[in-house]
Amino acid sequence: MRIRIYAAATLAAIFAAAGCGQKEAASNDTANEASSEAAAADDKAPAGENKPGAQAKPSRWAADPFPSTYEPYPSVTTLIRGATVLTGAGERIDNGSVLIENGKIAGVGGADLAAPEGANVIDANGKWVTPGVIDIHSHLGDYPSPSTASTSDGNEATAPNTAQVWAEHSVWPQDAGFTRALAGGVTSLQILPGSANLFGGRTAILKNVPSRTVQGMKFPGAPYGLKMACGENPKRFYADKGGPSTRMGNFAGYRAAWIEAAAYKKKWEKYWDELDDWNSKSGAGDKNKKDGGEAKEPEAPTRDLKLETLAMALSGDITVNMHCYRADEMAQVIDMSREFGYKVSTFHHGVEAYKIADILAENGICAAVWADWWGFKLEAYDAIRENAAMIDAQPGSCTIIHSDDEYGIQRLNQEAGKAVGDGAHMGLEIPPERAIEWITLNPAKAMRIADRTGSLEAGKMADVVIWDRNPFSIYAKTEKVFIDGALLYDASDPARSPRMDFEIGQQGNGFVGGSGQ
Amino acid sequence: MRNIGRKLNRIIVALAAVSASAGAAAQAQTIAIQNARVYTMAGENAGRVDNGDVIIRDGVIAAIGQDLTAPEGATIINAEGRIVTPGVFAVWSQIGLAEIGLDEEANDASSKDGFDISAGLNAADAFNPASTLIAINRAGGVTRAVAAPEPGAKMFGGKGAIVNLSGRADSLVRADAVQSVAMGAPGLGYNGGTRLGNWAALREALDEARAYAANPSGFIMRPRADDWSISDLKALVPVAQGAQPLFVTANSVVDLRTLIKVKAQYGLNVIVLGGNEAHLIANELAAANIPVVIDPLMNLPSQFEDLAATQKNAAKLNAAGVTIAFFNPPSGSHNLRLLPQLAGNAVANGLPYDEALKALTVNPARMLGVAGRYGTLELGKAADVVIWDGDPLETSTRPIAVLIDGRVTSLKNRQTMLRDRYKDLSRGALPTAYRGAE
Repeated sequence: MRIRIYAAATLAAIFAAAGCGQKEAASNDTANEASSEAAAADDKAPAGENKPGAQAKPSRWAADPFPSTYEPYPSVTTLIRGATVLTGAGERIDNGSVLIENGKIAGVGGADLAAPEGANVIDANGKWVTPGVIDIHSHLGDYPSPSTASTSDGNEATAPNTAQVWAEHSVWPQDAGFTRALAGGVTSLQILPGSANLFGGRTAILKNVPSRTVQGMKFPGAPYGLKMACGENPKRFYADKGGPSTRMGNFAGYRAAWIEAAAYKKKWEKYWDELDDWNSKSGAGDKNKKDGGEAKEPEAPTRDLKLETLAMALSGDITVNMHCYRADEMAQVIDMSREFGYKVSTFHHGVEAYKIADILAENGICAAVWADWWGFKLEAYDAIRENAAMIDAQPGSCTIIHSDDEYGIQRLNQEAGKAVGDGAHMGLEIPPERAIEWITLNPAKAMRIADRTGSLEAGKMADVVIWDRNPFSIYAKTEKVFIDGALLYDASDPARSPRMDFEIGQQGNGFVGGSGQ
Repeated sequence: MRNIGRKLNRIIVALAAVSASAGAAAQAQTIAIQNARVYTMAGENAGRVDNGDVIIRDGVIAAIGQDLTAPEGATIINAEGRIVTPGVFAVWSQIGLAEIGLDEEANDASSKDGFDISAGLNAADAFNPASTLIAINRAGGVTRAVAAPEPGAKMFGGKGAIVNLSGRADSLVRADAVQSVAMGAPGLGYNGGTRLGNWAALREALDEARAYAANPSGFIMRPRADDWSISDLKALVPVAQGAQPLFVTANSVVDLRTLIKVKAQYGLNVIVLGGNEAHLIANELAAANIPVVIDPLMNLPSQFEDLAATQKNAAKLNAAGVTIAFFNPPSGSHNLRLLPQLAGNAVANGLPYDEALKALTVNPARMLGVAGRYGTLELGKAADVVIWDGDPLETSTRPIAVLIDGRVTSLKNRQTMLRDRYKDLSRGALPTAYRGAE
């Protein structure tokens, strides 16, 4: 029964993706949001263009059949002053100011930063201000609340390679978890498929702004990610279903898929070369010339969603997110990535990252970890509390604290705070201005959205959190959360606390505690 | 946020020496902790004594006050103003029963479907004081816990024990101390898929246990349904008589109200495990004298039985006079050391600080009926004592000394050893496997 439902969903996705008139295929709701989204068109650069360092050739994979319709909500010119500002870019400014204008960070500085005429001024004396928190590993929406068989949409555990599925097609935007994460300061997040499969599918990067549609939450222009998984989970799911049943089986599965994907990529690249050649010979798309008996227009290969996602990972258009606990497995994955010429962006859950922190740093790979989860399975047995601090201690490292949990995402600041504390206890002093990068700039870099968000720097999206104290304290709470300059959460104002459809009219109304808690 | 100064190192060095000598001596030594901010958990303000001294002798608290004279020969620990509390008491866990969650051979916490005995299972038969979880959680300030099997094949979990986290062979303090039963959503799978079935099955089991207790040999001879084995019924007799605490998983207002009725009807001694909607009927629970163990982080409508979950739960229950303690199913027994983090979040959401400390220490002891021995620092009580290097609830605070029954325990554990093995990744004369295993 469940398999039939999944199959239907996949077919629908194929039809939708294959169609040219994407917006016609969308619902009325989406169309409405889509039409107003033209204003934000400049936010919608194709994925490939977001990468640091311009590519020689623009990507031709960058089809965007489910385009973002996210549009920032109105922003009031606001000067936050008198705060301890952690910029996310490594700086701490005491008695600092942050200026928000037109949804962007217009300035960051000291007490002398002037408020423009008519600006709303927030006196944040004693408060701390940071960039919006970013969670690189969440399943909100695809494992939403309430957790029932009906809503369990996170793992397409029907085959070890389901690179063809896209997490966004499972995301239920009415998941109350988004609102609680917002109260925890989360302004952007990556939703991943689960880890049952070697290749779980595409991730979705969202702005944490409630919307009627998933498209209305999608981070404009963010590249997709590919979710892959090491170790125990694929073994456990497929041992009795034809494999893999061993770690060597896992690797054989990855490599066979990469070989196929490389061939697919080559086939398309050959086609594009031929098409370019044909276009130039027959006069750049002048259809009339085709009748002149010259060379026939080359025929496009048939699309294959699974191989397309993998080929895009090989070409670097999609970031690779590898769920991997053990150090030895991570090291082998790095070799495999070299074999096939792709790059692992981030190892997720790397509980043993501390054992190879030097290798990860040398290879420019981020490690996304919990502060202290351990022991729920054997590959999580060697977790240590100092993991994040020891990763961070390596020159050129990229430490990320992630949640993988609808409760953990509400307090990534506390998780970072614990990891900082354990670092300090072993003599690794990590100042707040650095630790904040673990939950802001570093995940933004890994998700390739750091040119837009992740730090308080002029020109970036005004994704800003005002905390009532040092955010790494257990007692810290968010007071205000701005996304693209819009005040979307205010602890003192119930009218600035979202309530999802599922919650209203229920006992407790979802907000018995008030203010999103 | 913290400054781990040289002073601290000095204390640690001193404690290491104490710990080494304690290992040799069978008898606990006499210890004087001086110049601490002591929270005894007895009396007003959580029994706070500034510039306080704690004298420990023969495993128990011998004196508490200011400017006490250390007994001759006592080991003196200068706490230098740091906070001293009773050890954290984990009121619900599977510690010593579950080493690895997903590894069947290393997990004795719950039986698989098809196994007949449930209430009759006894944690004391499998509790492993050498489990790595014990030293790891001890290093986080946890000194005492319930170690109980969880409902697995049937609705009852089995007989839970009260243990200490010393790791010693005699660390199981009291066997057959508690029982548990799954009501609400966790119970549905056992009882025909309804809450009606849950309660009917619980009443049935209690009635059977009473009938068994009234005439054991006659009961065995008569024809009866084979739902419950004799060992289950034997185990349920003290529960049915109200002599043994019964942990009941229940979250919804509906289930909690039915529990109040069942408690009154049978005279049970129940402790709610879950209670996500308990705050809505906090007064009723207080009037019924039902303590509630909550996960104070719960604020999502995870299931239909906890639509009203809120982080204000702890504060509201406490304000109504309900005795509360904490547990956190997601992190489970591996991270009992995070109980202070739960307490800190409860404080951030309105629970008075002193009450949060009580929920970590004396409240569990009260719920389990062992407050005469544990949970407070009072004369004659077990010297389970933690010296913290900051506010115990803060993210960055860790214990610098943990005493159990008056003995200074080691804070070294498998995780600290792995840390020390890998803190220098440079290639040495020998592989990492030769480092730091002593």
